[in-house]
Amino acid sequence: MSAPAIEFAGVSRWYGDTVALADVSFTAGGGVIGLLGHNGAGKSTTLKLCAGFSTPSSGEVRIFGVNPRKTPSVYSRIGIVPDLSPPWPFLSGRQVVELSARLHNVADPRAAAARAIESVDLLSAADRPVGEFSHGMRQRIKLAQALAHDPELLLLDEPLNGLDPAQRSHMIELLSRLGHEGRTVVVSSHVLHEVERMAPRVLVLVNGHLVAEGSTTAIRRLISERPRRVLVTADGNGRALARELLAVANVDAVRLVDGTIEVETSDPEAFSRALPQAATSTDTLLRRINPVGDDLESVYAYLHERARGQGR
Amino acid sequence: MIRPVFALTLRSLLLQKRTIVLGLVAAAPVLMALIYALARSPGSHDHSFYSDLVQQLFVPTVASLISLVFGVSAFGDEREDGTILYLVATPQPRRELIVAKIAAAWAATLILLVPSLLASGLLSLRTGSSTALIGWPLLGVLLASLAYCAGSVLLSLYTRRPIVIGVLYILLWEGSIATFAASAAKLSISAYGRAFTAHVLPQASRPVASTAVSALVLLVVVAVTGWAAARALTRVELP
Repeated sequence: MSAPAIEFAGVSRWYGDTVALADVSFTAGGGVIGLLGHNGAGKSTTLKLCAGFSTPSSGEVRIFGVNPRKTPSVYSRIGIVPDLSPPWPFLSGRQVVELSARLHNVADPRAAAARAIESVDLLSAADRPVGEFSHGMRQRIKLAQALAHDPELLLLDEPLNGLDPAQRSHMIELLSRLGHEGRTVVVSSHVLHEVERMAPRVLVLVNGHLVAEGSTTAIRRLISERPRRVLVTADGNGRALARELLAVANVDAVRLVDGTIEVETSDPEAFSRALPQAATSTDTLLRRINPVGDDLESVYAYLHERARGQGR
Repeated sequence: MIRPVFALTLRSLLLQKRTIVLGLVAAAPVLMALIYALARSPGSHDHSFYSDLVQQLFVPTVASLISLVFGVSAFGDEREDGTILYLVATPQPRRELIVAKIAAAWAATLILLVPSLLASGLLSLRTGSSTALIGWPLLGVLLASLAYCAGSVLLSLYTRRPIVIGVLYILLWEGSIATFAASAAKLSISAYGRAFTAHVLPQASRPVASTAVSALVLLVVVAVTGWAAARALTRVELP
């Protein structure tokens, strides 16, 4: 049986007192995998470890069964698209991709470069120096150099950053296709809805911890079903409104704090439908409805708390 | 696959503005030789001047500084801007990447040093110049700069401040202590480089070793630092 594309076994990485990754274990192979997390969550560290650009402080990283730092020949099976670091600015896009193909021992580097450049839709600008490229074009030439040797594993750090909507769609389509072809494509992002458009599976990192792992649909459900808080400010009989809201389905708790009603619910949509009716029946005038913790940081914090509760 | 990396690095090294500054450093001995040639009197000792120029200025300062900057930049620039990832993430043996980098740094160094040494020699020796008088010091400069380049490539993989450390080493050790203290000279690259000048110029200071031993020592320095650099490349934290 062949070794999985990526294997993390109890991997931690710290820099001085800062823990970038804490006891992360997972395996990956085949299809697009989203690496989701806020800035500083450990996504780039995970990709760096996969790419062999860093050594774990503890644990073991194996790519196709080997440590790429010790076995560079495995790079012929890996394509890497770093977040920053555009290629040499004085080379043309075509030269960059051809050089990459040559360094990956491709038999016909010129033909391979032409194919890769075409696949990222950059033929028209291929002979211009990379230094003159826009950010979006640089992202695409980085992807082309990673594809030139037809790798089985692609590691992409924030590949959608700086792309306009049309370019994003094209990139998502391309990465999905590469995943369907059987390659393992690891894509980091901090935006769930972008990842779910291409990745059937996601790993969620929060503060260096792997807090959730599974199908994108399951993670989406987990996030949408988390308890939410809503602050309601109303003129009139606030106490009566609070009592009425307590009777609404899926409302878990209601508190009245300094005239503001704080509601905890596991179904915010049903609550938003029931709220106007409750206000009418108690003769109160709604002034302000403010959902709390709907931002991405709160979502990650919730997943982190949940994982700790489960002892992950 | 040394050639494409060599060509890429050489191009990258020479395209920088600092090459102009290094060109000026390389021009310093030529300027001194020119001033000497213009001010020379019938009793001037051409061989003594040329010997001092090569031994006191060219090898320990000019050659070492230029080799240091190019050697450090061969990987250092790519570590700074992140392009090193595109070389390291390839199946090429680390040893070959290091050989390509040292060779490119050396070639860039020689592009500046060789014309400078030839011009300095021809100006200061005038009609008394010969192939041997130019050739032996040149061989010393070639080997010493190769050793400096290899050491600088290694330094750039171990520290984020290779230039500062390298300049301190050159000024404090190679340029002063090892140049004037005979006992320290055995641990100096430039001392072995200078030995080739002493082979043809009796006025030169006493060499630390014969030319054969000096060549061997310098080549061993290149081999050991190159091997260590290849090892360092598999361990260095990349951006």
